[in-house]
Amino acid sequence: MTEAAAAPTDQQTKGGRLTEWLMLYAGSVAAALFLTAVLVETTGGEWRPVMSALLDGSLRRPGRWGETLGTMAPLLLVALGTVISSKAGLINIGQEGQLAIGAAFAAYFGLLIGGPGPINVVIVLIFGVVGGAFWAGIAGILRFRRSVPEVLSTLLMVTIASQAVAYALGKPWLLLASEANRGNRNQVSEQLGADNRIPRPDIFGNEFPISVYMALILAVAVAFALKSTTWGFRLRMLGQNPTAARRVGVSQGRYGMAALMVSGGFAGLAGAAMLAGGGFAFGNYQIVPGFSGNVGWTGLLVALVASNRAVAAIPAAFVFASLRTGSGFVASTGVESKITDVMQGLLVLALLIPPAVMFIRDRRRARAATMART
Amino acid sequence: MGFLEAVWDILTTDSTYVNTALFAGLLAFAASGEWVAERAGTINISVEGMLLSGAFTAAVGYDITNSAIVALITGVLGGLIIAFVQAEMSHRLAADQFVVGLTLNILVFGLTGFLDRAIEPRTEIVTVWNIPLLSDIPLIGEALFGQPWPFYLLYLLLPFSWWLVFRTRWGLEVRASGENPGAADVSGIDVNRRRRDSIYYAGFTSGLGGAFLIIVQIGRFDPGIVSGRGFIAIAAVIFGGWTLRGTVGGCLVFAGALSFRLAIQGVGYEINSQFLQSLPFLVTVLGMAIFAHRVRPPAALATPFVRGLK
Amino acid sequence: MTQGLGSTGVGESTGSPAPKVEFSGITKRFGAVVACDAVDLSFFSGKVHGILGENGAGKSTLMKVLIGLVLPDGGSISIDGTIQRIHDPLDAARLGVGMVHQHFSLVDPLSVWENVALGDAGRLDPEAVRARVGEISDQYGLHIDPNARVGDLTAGLRQRVEIIKCLRRDPSIVVFDEPTSVLTPDESAQLFDTLRNAVAAEGRTVVLVSHKLDEVLSATDDITIMRQGRVVERMNTVDADAATLARAMVGREVSLRSEAGALGLITDDDSVDVEVDSAERDTTLSLTGLRATGPGGVTLLDDLSLDVGAGEVLGIAGVEGNGQRALADLLSSLVPLTAGSVRVGNTVIDHTKPGAMARAGIAVIPEDRHDSGVVLDMTVTENLFLVDQSSVANRGIIDMRAARDHASQVILDFDIQCSGPDAPMWSLSGGNQQRVVLARELSNNPKVLVAAQPTRGLDVGAIEYMTDRIRHAAADGVAVLLISSELEEILDVSDRIAVMHRGRIVGLMSRAEATREQLGLLMGGAVA
Repeated sequence: MTEAAAAPTDQQTKGGRLTEWLMLYAGSVAAALFLTAVLVETTGGEWRPVMSALLDGSLRRPGRWGETLGTMAPLLLVALGTVISSKAGLINIGQEGQLAIGAAFAAYFGLLIGGPGPINVVIVLIFGVVGGAFWAGIAGILRFRRSVPEVLSTLLMVTIASQAVAYALGKPWLLLASEANRGNRNQVSEQLGADNRIPRPDIFGNEFPISVYMALILAVAVAFALKSTTWGFRLRMLGQNPTAARRVGVSQGRYGMAALMVSGGFAGLAGAAMLAGGGFAFGNYQIVPGFSGNVGWTGLLVALVASNRAVAAIPAAFVFASLRTGSGFVASTGVESKITDVMQGLLVLALLIPPAVMFIRDRRRARAATMART
Repeated sequence: MGFLEAVWDILTTDSTYVNTALFAGLLAFAASGEWVAERAGTINISVEGMLLSGAFTAAVGYDITNSAIVALITGVLGGLIIAFVQAEMSHRLAADQFVVGLTLNILVFGLTGFLDRAIEPRTEIVTVWNIPLLSDIPLIGEALFGQPWPFYLLYLLLPFSWWLVFRTRWGLEVRASGENPGAADVSGIDVNRRRRDSIYYAGFTSGLGGAFLIIVQIGRFDPGIVSGRGFIAIAAVIFGGWTLRGTVGGCLVFAGALSFRLAIQGVGYEINSQFLQSLPFLVTVLGMAIFAHRVRPPAALATPFVRGLK
Repeated sequence: MTQGLGSTGVGESTGSPAPKVEFSGITKRFGAVVACDAVDLSFFSGKVHGILGENGAGKSTLMKVLIGLVLPDGGSISIDGTIQRIHDPLDAARLGVGMVHQHFSLVDPLSVWENVALGDAGRLDPEAVRARVGEISDQYGLHIDPNARVGDLTAGLRQRVEIIKCLRRDPSIVVFDEPTSVLTPDESAQLFDTLRNAVAAEGRTVVLVSHKLDEVLSATDDITIMRQGRVVERMNTVDADAATLARAMVGREVSLRSEAGALGLITDDDSVDVEVDSAERDTTLSLTGLRATGPGGVTLLDDLSLDVGAGEVLGIAGVEGNGQRALADLLSSLVPLTAGSVRVGNTVIDHTKPGAMARAGIAVIPEDRHDSGVVLDMTVTENLFLVDQSSVANRGIIDMRAARDHASQVILDFDIQCSGPDAPMWSLSGGNQQRVVLARELSNNPKVLVAAQPTRGLDVGAIEYMTDRIRHAAADGVAVLLISSELEEILDVSDRIAVMHRGRIVGLMSRAEATREQLGLLMGGAVA
């Protein structure tokens, strides 16, 4: 994953360069929005009501920004995990699966162990971490014992994870709820008891689980850990110069494995937070088929769009969350709500273009300058 | 009947093989292109999107002209459009190939779902062409020679793909780019250009695959018709050790399991559906773990190539 | 600048009077490092030209300019009298320039003929390529099976493939870049026969780039010696011998000698007026019977034994490529041993554990700091505690303020030119980066300091500074192992001098006993 150099070349001033960046970003985002609008218009809709509905659904209407925050939390958590594995030089693209396993562990052990309210919530979250870490850990063992590239193993294990959870949802001794609690659905887990859910305090008419605060705090903590702890420091060394890291005693097997497991743990935590945090987007405190709902994939995108920076992941996660919650309102305008997926996709691509273009331009300029001198 | 009897019964029924061939056919379209792309050193995660895009554009093409041939062509176009974004962004603009691939999948899913509501293309399954004599071979005859005619394109596509990679200069350069881009570059090969070419090829074959899905297998478009088969195609390439024979073998094995399951259900037994759906991936992961040192990916797989600054 | 000794006689032979290739004022900078400094050089048809120099001398960069892999910042190249612009390997190929690369032009999983065909245009015709391989094989005595898989071949055979790949385009200029680094003596001899045949029978221009004295002596018609980006000497091979070459290659120019040479003046007649410290020292570092091999089975260290005492500077002299890099890497926990042991004091160090050497008190200033010495994307402050965070960390949390303060102090103490403690490492010049490395390595009170080529690529002031610091470290009781191919540096600072050749120690003497002549001979491989 390339990072464009930030140094200005001799021909450019710092100000001129900043302008270039801003123009590229503005242009790309505008193009993305424009294309979306075109798409809406050509299929018989009107883009203004769609944009308005998006804003309504994500922020404007009462209670919505709380919903958005609640959606942001798991996205942010997944992104944080991705940041950690990326800093260690590893490519983890299996968050969707690690999240699902985390949620499954959380549900199973949370329901199994029981206990008083707050303690049970903590147990749920802890087992979410355990589940995700375990799943990523398998890929880690494959990588550090059998040289299997983690990009492949984490990817393949996504489907295995969702199938494993689906299986568990069909077995009463695993996740399947009892007849009485199933309602008219075939495969759901038990609901978490009313006491065993993450509290959702009401703030100015907006309800969202306190896991939001947890995610925000963790974002700061991850940023701090990477920058200012010995562990984070050595992890970054591993990612940036593995030879120097080895010289200094950072074993790629140990630190890399730890990074992968932490990364999976975050994704698992996100799954547990989705389960125990409720909200309309995440079912009703119970696991249903398709529970992970692309949160894993989207969280991965959040991290990449935020250039693998923990704090930058916060606004990025918020934007992606807004698109999700906003899309719920789009249907009422008569336009297919899938348009928000399209918009999200176009926006991500748009955000990828400026760094890529700058990278190419810098190299062309350097080359031209050298050639002019010969 | 007893389980073993049921198994024997299934193994001796034509329809088992017909279904296997159909399922494998789709996978083979996608996997043959992905094989080429991975030989060049790229992991083309957007295969899923290419298939879906190809399926949609094929459906639209058929809707407008009622011609299967046009559907195939528009299907190819659908795949190529996605290939364009993936190739240019990842191997000309140096954007991360996973981000681009994943985003494209989400984008295509949303876009086709959106447009499907708007357009609602109508399609139907194409006629079966029975090849005389050959299709009378017991068991596999109908499977291999009694299918709707687009299936037979595979008999051209697979050898052609092999020929491209092993008998042409283009293929030599693609293989060099995947194994040692530095050496290839020093020898005067444009590594990123070959990588882009191979992604376009994957778009081409996956576009065909999408069309195949519409006019041969399912007959209707729905955004969910691909549902992970692009990823199974990737698994097939890995399972096959990055050889074409192995890839096709993987497609057959995975498809066979699916077909077997359908059949055994009909006799009253049940193979766990989740186990079956995860089988391709489980088998591939296990294969990689066990044969780690014998199955070798192209050395530069998933490593972007940027020529050193001069 | 370029008219060194012996420029007469080169080129004035019975061959064509006009040079085939002419470099005029070629300059190339990589950041703050000047790789090539206004190089003027000529090559003639029908001759084998040797270019001798250490790593960093500029010879490889010069050839990369010729082959189009690197664009020069100044100067020009003429071929057959016309100035040419070579922008990429295809341009070079068109002009008839071919290079036999060291190890980055072959694709292992492909066969010999496929590798040879790489880079051509037009339809792929395996039969034609195989036939051409056969032709060249017969013509030059380079027998090889065109269908063999390159990855299965020995180093010698792989090089044959490289040569065939180069020769198939019928180049008029052939450059061999460090060709024998992985060959056995027999294979090397065979190679030199091939060089002769390529030249004598066909009037091509052959250039042999190397840092090995013996091969340059046996295979070339004339030798150009480069040092620190400049041509320093030229001579006909018949007039040269190992000792002269070794001296020319590694000696520093008179004007650069340290005036503060505390060990006394080093005059031309090599007599030294030195205070010999004959006090008994405790042995701090014990290297016993070290053996190590590299990829492809190449021997890196061959039963190497050496002891370094506390407070002494033991200089290891030697032409580069004789195992010095491996020795430093070993002491950095980067290379495993196949036999032998490393002891600090009385404790044997586990060479398989990452970081074990560092933890045992062995500080290293590595030869290639970018490889294992610094992390370019991190700040100066962070690079200062790369090895040991305990001095700036409290229970796992790094006190950045304290670290920055410490860094600011270090920047002052060591006179590091940078924009501050938060400056990214890549923004510092080579000399300043080296100071950061030095400061860091010395700050942990090491028992042993291994300085590998510590002044390479540095300017005069930086060189003096480093040398001074090394002396101070020894004065503080550290056992210093100075590995350098700069003979002046070794003679300037060392208490004892060892010479390394082909992975082992071939001579050990005190400073008083050492003469340039003797060292030169040992470095050249002669038995003392």
